[in-house]
Amino acid sequence: MKRDLERIAIPGEHEARERAWRVVEAAFVEREGVERRSRRWRIALSIGGATAAVLAVMSSPGRAVLDDIRAVVGVERAEPALFSLPAKGRLLVASDAGIWVVQHDGSKRLLGRYREGSWSPFGRFVVVSRENELAALEPDGNIRWTLSRRNVSSPRWTGTAADTRIAYVDRTGIRVVAGDGTGDRLLVRAGSGPLAWRPGPRFVLAYSALGSVRVVDATSGRMLWSARLPQGSATGIEWSADGRRLLVLSPHHLRLYDDRGRLVGREDPSEGWPDVAATFRPDTREPTVARLHGSQSSAYLLSGPTLFSGTGAFDRLAWSPDGRWLVVGWPTADQWVFVRATGARRIQAVSNVSEQFRSRSLPRIEGWSR
Amino acid sequence: MLAGRDERARVRGAQRGSASDLEALFRMHWPRAFRAAYLVTHDAAAAEDIAQEAFLAAIRALDRFDSRRPFGPWLHRIAVNRAIDWARVRKLRAEVELGHAGSSLDAPGVPNDDAFRALRRLSPEKRAVIVMRYLLDMTPGEISKALLLPRGTVNSRLRRGLDAMREEL
Repeated sequence: MKRDLERIAIPGEHEARERAWRVVEAAFVEREGVERRSRRWRIALSIGGATAAVLAVMSSPGRAVLDDIRAVVGVERAEPALFSLPAKGRLLVASDAGIWVVQHDGSKRLLGRYREGSWSPFGRFVVVSRENELAALEPDGNIRWTLSRRNVSSPRWTGTAADTRIAYVDRTGIRVVAGDGTGDRLLVRAGSGPLAWRPGPRFVLAYSALGSVRVVDATSGRMLWSARLPQGSATGIEWSADGRRLLVLSPHHLRLYDDRGRLVGREDPSEGWPDVAATFRPDTREPTVARLHGSQSSAYLLSGPTLFSGTGAFDRLAWSPDGRWLVVGWPTADQWVFVRATGARRIQAVSNVSEQFRSRSLPRIEGWSR
Repeated sequence: MLAGRDERARVRGAQRGSASDLEALFRMHWPRAFRAAYLVTHDAAAAEDIAQEAFLAAIRALDRFDSRRPFGPWLHRIAVNRAIDWARVRKLRAEVELGHAGSSLDAPGVPNDDAFRALRRLSPEKRAVIVMRYLLDMTPGEISKALLLPRGTVNSRLRRGLDAMREEL
């Protein structure tokens, strides 16, 4: 059989190969231009926290080299605190101390000892959860309502100016409650997080269940479609802003489905190199992925260049609402790194993040609202 | 053929920016990627696009590729999955467009080969497992993983595909 398959003559095989090589070579040359720049970033950023000590003992020629690297990269040294955000909007942050709102000017407010949170659709409220409570808060911490349920997690808020819903997980399954805290009911008995509402006026929810991703109409309870996952459970689920693509992430598989459940894209890292986070760039259908490969991690656009690489592990990605800045959580360095992805590349790193949010581990960015 | 160690060195070289190492990888793996795509799609233009796109995807992910892993199977997996997707879409389109069931077996440019004709009778899914097993030398377990299918489904597609081809031959 092998011989039979290998001897089949394919019309135009030689010409096809040469045409393809020209395209591949051109793409490689173009990529190299990008990669050389990003490698310089990598070198400079891995120097990162040790820079001050090294500078103190460095000879003049050595200092000149480092200055040169800085000049090429354009990196300001990591700021010792989050003095401001590089783009408009507010961050919702989860740390060991609780849920925080960070304003554009860098001021922070601890909303309370909650574990998870998400913004309301227009950023006017926040839904938060802790072990036995779901609560809706104003960003200044005023409590609008609370709901006592057991083992609450994964709260997600969606809707229009006129009508909103919150989905969350508790001991009974996936539940849905109106934005004013009324009408709480069980939607799916066997489901679990992560959860993702499809943007738009209809209340359509994607969730993970039994090695698959399922999409359900939360009003009627009707299952719209489901897709089996390659292995294990999803660690991340997210809809694109237009609601036409669903991104499903597990450590070794990334899948993109259209709104009818048809597989339209996939990206499988080579084995042993897990994807740790993925998110759509705002207002696009373009996923951004954080992948651990050996002792390095990279954050990159799935169909484009690497945006940022560093030694150790990344854990979270979040885009500014205008899609210009990507923030990468970098636990190894205890830093958040803001990378400008449009125009001239810039990096703004913030160090000592854990301490600033009274946390033993790197705080998670739960969302960046308008 | 590049030995495993040589291939790993080529991958590392390409990761460092060596165009000659990339070309060596291309020359090594293009023929199988193209052939596999062609045997699944039975369309030379589509196979060219698919194999080319597989290489472009590989270049985009090159700096994240684990150079200790074999490059070929990874590339071929991308090519075959894309070929199956392409064949499925064409099948759907053909059903919509006047019930046209694909180009004629006697069309110019179609290889006049018994194995090719027998393979062409199969569904894209069955063609894919035959191609992966016998052209790309993948085990049923590897095929199962690459196509996200239960091992039993892979085995039954292999068995039925081979039976159908034997009848045809």
